[in-house]
Amino acid sequence: MTESATNRSFVQLAGVGHRYDPNPDIPPAITGINLDIRRHEFVAVVGPSGCGKSTLLRMIAGLLKPSEGSVSVFGKEVDGPRDDVGIVFQKPTLLPWLTVRKNVLFPLKHKYGRYGREDEKRADELLAMAGLETFANKMPDELSGGMQQRVGIVRALLLNPDILLMDEPFSALDAMTREQIGFDLLKIWQENPKTVLFITHSISEAVLLADRVLVMSKRPGTVLEMVSVDLPRPRTTHTISNPHFGKLTERLRKHIYEPEVA
Amino acid sequence: MRKGFTRSFLFAASLAGGLMSQGALAADKVTYQLDWLPGGDKSPVYVGVQQGFFEAEGLEVSIASGRGSTDAITKIATGQADIGSADIGALMAAKAQDDSLPVKAVYSIFNQAPHAFFTLKKNGIAELTDIDGKKVATSPFTSSNAFLPLVLKGNGLAEDAVKLTKADPGALGPMLMNGGTDAIIAWVTNIALFADQAKATGNELVVLPWSDAGLELYSSSVVASDKFLSERPDVAKRFMRAFDKSLKFTHDNPRKAAEDLHSMVPEVDVDVVTAQIGDTMKLVVNSVSDRDGLGALTEERVALTWDWVAQAEKLEKGVLNPETVIDRDLLEAL
Amino acid sequence: MSLKLPDGKAGRFLLTAAPWLFFLALIVLWELVCQVFSLPEYVLPAPSAIVDAFFNVEFSRWMTHLWATLRVALMGFVVSILVAIPIAIAMMRSELLSRTLYPLLVVIQSTPVVAVAPLIIVLMGSDDPSRVLITCLLTFFPLVVSTATGINETPAELIELSRSLDAPTRRETWQIRIPYAIPHIFSGLRVAITLAIIGAVVAEFVAAEEGLGYFIQFSTSFFRIPQAFAGLFFLAVVSLLLFKSVQWAQQIFFPWSLPRK
Repeated sequence: MTESATNRSFVQLAGVGHRYDPNPDIPPAITGINLDIRRHEFVAVVGPSGCGKSTLLRMIAGLLKPSEGSVSVFGKEVDGPRDDVGIVFQKPTLLPWLTVRKNVLFPLKHKYGRYGREDEKRADELLAMAGLETFANKMPDELSGGMQQRVGIVRALLLNPDILLMDEPFSALDAMTREQIGFDLLKIWQENPKTVLFITHSISEAVLLADRVLVMSKRPGTVLEMVSVDLPRPRTTHTISNPHFGKLTERLRKHIYEPEVA
Repeated sequence: MRKGFTRSFLFAASLAGGLMSQGALAADKVTYQLDWLPGGDKSPVYVGVQQGFFEAEGLEVSIASGRGSTDAITKIATGQADIGSADIGALMAAKAQDDSLPVKAVYSIFNQAPHAFFTLKKNGIAELTDIDGKKVATSPFTSSNAFLPLVLKGNGLAEDAVKLTKADPGALGPMLMNGGTDAIIAWVTNIALFADQAKATGNELVVLPWSDAGLELYSSSVVASDKFLSERPDVAKRFMRAFDKSLKFTHDNPRKAAEDLHSMVPEVDVDVVTAQIGDTMKLVVNSVSDRDGLGALTEERVALTWDWVAQAEKLEKGVLNPETVIDRDLLEAL
Repeated sequence: MSLKLPDGKAGRFLLTAAPWLFFLALIVLWELVCQVFSLPEYVLPAPSAIVDAFFNVEFSRWMTHLWATLRVALMGFVVSILVAIPIAIAMMRSELLSRTLYPLLVVIQSTPVVAVAPLIIVLMGSDDPSRVLITCLLTFFPLVVSTATGINETPAELIELSRSLDAPTRRETWQIRIPYAIPHIFSGLRVAITLAIIGAVVAEFVAAEEGLGYFIQFSTSFFRIPQAFAGLFFLAVVSLLLFKSVQWAQQIFFPWSLPRK
């Protein structure tokens, strides 16, 4: 296993399947998934609703045990919640009774019961990186949806996790905000390289952000195809007008809507 | 010299204080349970406290208000109070249903039935038989209701000779005054209150007591728990001595009694209570008390009371020997 | 047809003044009805007669009665907070406990307290503990329900966040679930505080020597209807103030839990 880790395979899923209902007549949520994610790679996952994208994410976080196969991170099998992952949810899920800074520090407070001056400094640095330094002492409901989600990302980064798991993080935002925050995420990711698993409904978003895009099938979810996005970085608004971008999104769209033809 | 004087004075004072507080400590505590809220008809026990009759007997009496005779009997039976006032009929009915009830009547306060028809002069009900076919209002839980058919029958009327409606006690007066009913059933202890209401609306109140119509029985009485009587007979004797004195004082000085009640229950109005005491005392001091003595519980009238109660409550006469709810030791010791 | 508020300052003034003006109009109408039809005061006392009756009772007596009622109501309120919130938390943590307790709670809630109150007095005596218990029986159910609802409405993502941090359950409860339940707890508290007053009054109707409920009952027993009404209104004002105090407490200590205007 250590071998594969040095082989630059950081997160490894081998024959992973999961069923929520033991009744064999009901198809499992996901089945037979093999996946290798390299260190500091940005992988996006697309697929129809209910194809088990979130199940995949929760198994990597150790919140869910696979019914078959195994998940390992850095060569070690995942057998429980692990603290080297940061999770960003669809909704910002900030705590309304804490200021923005305290929300960012919440994982420390929650895990260890306290935090120090150093931690506060780090929180402020992260907030500055996300362009939120002037909002540190505001309450969450004084922020726009996009800013709240940025706080959510910053919170996930506080413990400096190796892996960032993002579950449709921008789907509740309007299109304009969504694009902007995508570029902000890339900027943050470039400054703090992480292994990212990014779940999304948006094919263009997946192509715009990721190194590789994993296409999943309808339930029971399996890997239909893994598409490498060979677009140059840094990605900008110009990336979208690159003809190759169009070709890639087209190809992915086909996989999702007409998997048999593809 | 002076210093020595002061010191010995202080010594004497502290000695006296010690003795006095010891005296206070030695006072026997008695809890008296009323069967309703404080009012003119309940004033004797307050008089006993205020005039120092209880203190003179070495008693420290606390008074608890009640919510009906059954409530008072229950509280005395369960030991929350030692002694109190309740309707002897309610006690008999309770004892008839539960022979083990550890409560006995020791002294009669009302030797007459307090129940009466109240009507207005203009309604043309001059005597009890005139009630035939009239509208009568009563409160839902009064003990009077059980006696109504007996009173009607005793006066040659049908048991359902009146059109009976039930209403909250507070609504009875207004109903009578504004013509909602021809008559109401209430206690003669409240004549003054209703007379005031009648006067305020330009009417004249007419009262037809059921005692005049043949309802001969004991009513409100002093009742005590068996435990109190057997474990502290001396305290009980002293209590009744002071109570008897208080009752006489109340009869002789209604206004003073009302003031005593007022000083312990500031909400009561002295004038109203004085009038209430006047009405109440007719049930206490009358031809019956002239004949038998104050507080008496004669075997004959106790039996008569049970006759009425058994009929009213539709109980077999034989289920209770009425003498078993009576304890005359305290009366004899007066 | 729609009524339109005048714009600006006048409109805002009308909006705040409207309930007061309406209330005032009702009082004036009431007074007029009593005067014009010269209703005797034991039928319906005029507001002026009620005010008279209020000032005819010594201030110190009002305070004695107020304190008696307030003492029982507040003790009952505090005790039910101390009982209800831990029960709600325990029920959230344990499915078994929740299934065991819930039917019992519903039975307690659907038993008319007025009917049980005399039994409690007989069993426990006619002192404050009985009255506090009677009050608690009324107040604690809405508190359990609102707290449990609040705790269960904590976003699932936050619970996952907590689990992914491998934090102790105790912190999940105190740092996430309870704060999330605060708005619900406060809506429960607002209901409970007015029920606490009702509970104290019910207890006084059964056994008491003082208190506003006792005072009203006592006034009625002497057919002093204006005085009873004065007691009733005093009680209503106290109840309203307590209700407002709960709101103020929420505004002061948990401003985030109120919707931003």
